Amino acid sequence: MISFQEQIELFKIIGLELKEKIVCYAIGGSAMMHYGAKVDTKDVDLVFLEEKSLEEVKKTLSAMGFDEKQSMIKIFKRYETAKKTPVMMVRGDERFDLFLKEIITMKMSEGMIERVRETHEFHNCIVKIVSPEDIFLLKSATEREKDKADALSLLEKFKLDWRIIIDESLNQTKLGKHLFPVYLFDFLYELKEDLKAEIPRKVLDDVRKIAEGLLEEKLNVKGKKRSLGKKRRV
Amino acid sequence: MDMLELARKVEGLQTVSSLAKICKIGKRTAVNYSSLLRKAGYLTTAYGGRKIRIYRVTSLPRKERGYSFYALLNRYSRVKLAVKQQYFIYAEKEPCVEEILVRAVASESFRVVLASLGLFNKIRNWSRLKKFADMYGVGRKIGALYDVAKTVMKIRRIDQRTRKGLKNGKGGYIIPLVKSKHFQTIEKYWGVFIPFNKADLEVYKE
Repeated sequence: MISFQEQIELFKIIGLELKEKIVCYAIGGSAMMHYGAKVDTKDVDLVFLEEKSLEEVKKTLSAMGFDEKQSMIKIFKRYETAKKTPVMMVRGDERFDLFLKEIITMKMSEGMIERVRETHEFHNCIVKIVSPEDIFLLKSATEREKDKADALSLLEKFKLDWRIIIDESLNQTKLGKHLFPVYLFDFLYELKEDLKAEIPRKVLDDVRKIAEGLLEEKLNVKGKKRSLGKKRRV
Repeated sequence: MDMLELARKVEGLQTVSSLAKICKIGKRTAVNYSSLLRKAGYLTTAYGGRKIRIYRVTSLPRKERGYSFYALLNRYSRVKLAVKQQYFIYAEKEPCVEEILVRAVASESFRVVLASLGLFNKIRNWSRLKKFADMYGVGRKIGALYDVAKTVMKIRRIDQRTRKGLKNGKGGYIIPLVKSKHFQTIEKYWGVFIPFNKADLEVYKE
């Protein structure tokens, strides 16, 4: 596990080792630690918008004694369909997950970049911390039980703007193939039922309506394609 | 008393009066509460206009961080900024006023550059200013803004060697595509477009 102070020290070393300025975005547990919503994390998740920056950090981490790990742990829903998987750098029980533009099935959208709340400059390494709303949405796309606990912690510590979460889930659906509002509804429902999270009924109803609409739309499109296929066969 | 609960109750920007009103207590007790919250790490104090104490209360206890760029800028400048996105610098030493000024000019943000004008008054080491200006490639911009600041406030005299040296930097826009109507002589001399008109600088005359 990596504590907040250890994370800061690691970033400081990376920043000093890097020869050029690079910008990356901290997500997940790492970002939560910056907001004081978590004490330690299993891995530091960083998203890069440029491949060159990712390679530079990877090189630096290798020089610091981190090894690239090949085997993947199934974290996200529909992991198999993801084209881009993160670079995992491991040293003992410390792990860095480096993503390029995409976080498995989700994309680093312009909205997410605009909503960044904090920027931390460690010499040449500039780490931007994504907003709590975006961390929550990212947590909703995973299957791990501890992500639910993290989401609950976010709900308790922040006044999350549900409009941002819902809009971003719709935006992600536009950007990719996945129906994020459906995942979000599942996630919120489980949080409310299993962990007794305080989620407004109206939010659940809104997300459910959106999710149903999207599912219907998808089924209709599939239905039309099938009927077209049958006609052709005739 | 549970400090976390209290912090949640009064989260946000508060004054002694508003704190007293929310908690339904007297002003003197409100000051005591603020002290307790500060000790628990939930509260920081800033001073607003007319030296009114403004408390920033958050339910997330602050952890040790780097130096906040905006906190330093607000400390030195007369124009105080409300921050939307915090910027922390992790360094062994606290960034000096010269570095803050140069970083502010390099930020290309209107409010930040405007607030940075007040920092010229605090500069003690001109050669250090030039060193940072060279590092960030904003020498000419710093020189031009120095001349602009001189038109509205009393500023220490820049030494001539630094002034000449600043001319080696890159010119152009301080804020992309923003030009001035009033400082064209300065713009021409430094080869830089000033983003302010005279009305923008009224804030320094108050």
